[in-house]
Amino acid sequence: MKTTKTFYVLLVTASILYVTPSFGQTKPKLTDPEIASVAVTANQVDINYAAIAEKKSKEQDIIEFAQTMAKDHQAVIDQAVALVTKLKVTPKDNAVSKKLNADAEKTKKSLNAKSGKDFDKAYINNEVAYHKAVIATVETVLIPESQNAELKALLQQVLPVLKTHLEHAMMVQAKVVK
Amino acid sequence: MLPGFLLLSCSHPETKVVPRKYTIEIKEMRFQPDDLQVHVGDTVEWLNKDMVAHDITEEDNKEWSSGPLAPGRSWDLVVTKSANYFCSIHVVMKGKLEVP
Repeated sequence: MKTTKTFYVLLVTASILYVTPSFGQTKPKLTDPEIASVAVTANQVDINYAAIAEKKSKEQDIIEFAQTMAKDHQAVIDQAVALVTKLKVTPKDNAVSKKLNADAEKTKKSLNAKSGKDFDKAYINNEVAYHKAVIATVETVLIPESQNAELKALLQQVLPVLKTHLEHAMMVQAKVVK
Repeated sequence: MLPGFLLLSCSHPETKVVPRKYTIEIKEMRFQPDDLQVHVGDTVEWLNKDMVAHDITEEDNKEWSSGPLAPGRSWDLVVTKSANYFCSIHVVMKGKLEVP
């Protein structure tokens, strides 16, 4: 679990450092279109994980958690899309969003290879680690870096959703991972 | 001299509690306030100010539920007794209505 969380934090941080011109900078720099792309990607990744869980798990707590993840993250994407449409901003694919997608493909492959209790544990452990990493990234990079006030406000509104998801994931984890 | 007793009638007309309406905002993934003192007959309105759907479900016996409440929508309950409730979609979100 600790390894998974560390992996995600390192992944996102390394991806952000990779795109910055100067490695000497302590704070990575993303433009608003790039931030929008990272935000949408991060939400879509969790929707994709949820789809696997809804298909594979027989555990009611896991299925209901996954259903909540799918609906909530779609609601966030819808809000983000409405905002960028209003602002006439085109989300810009970037090294961070590409790396998130590339690594999500590996995680999906790993989840799809599992079944039963092994799947349930792997899914929920991943959800705890993923939400911790996304919260850290939103708090320390996406919110501080966003220039547009409405984009910043949207990200600030998303944080409590992510933190509640984490709390919920940890509750399910305590039941499932014994 | 007989003491004079002044008998005062201290009867008061029965005091009725006028039902009130309270609003609980569902905001930042919390019921605000999450602990509300109410009386039987009061109306409590939950207003969803979040970007995701929530519900309000009686926790102990599932006696009542709002069903999914979309962002911007509200749901009313006329209080009959104290209740612990939660959001069955985000099960860590909890609140209570306390009738003295």
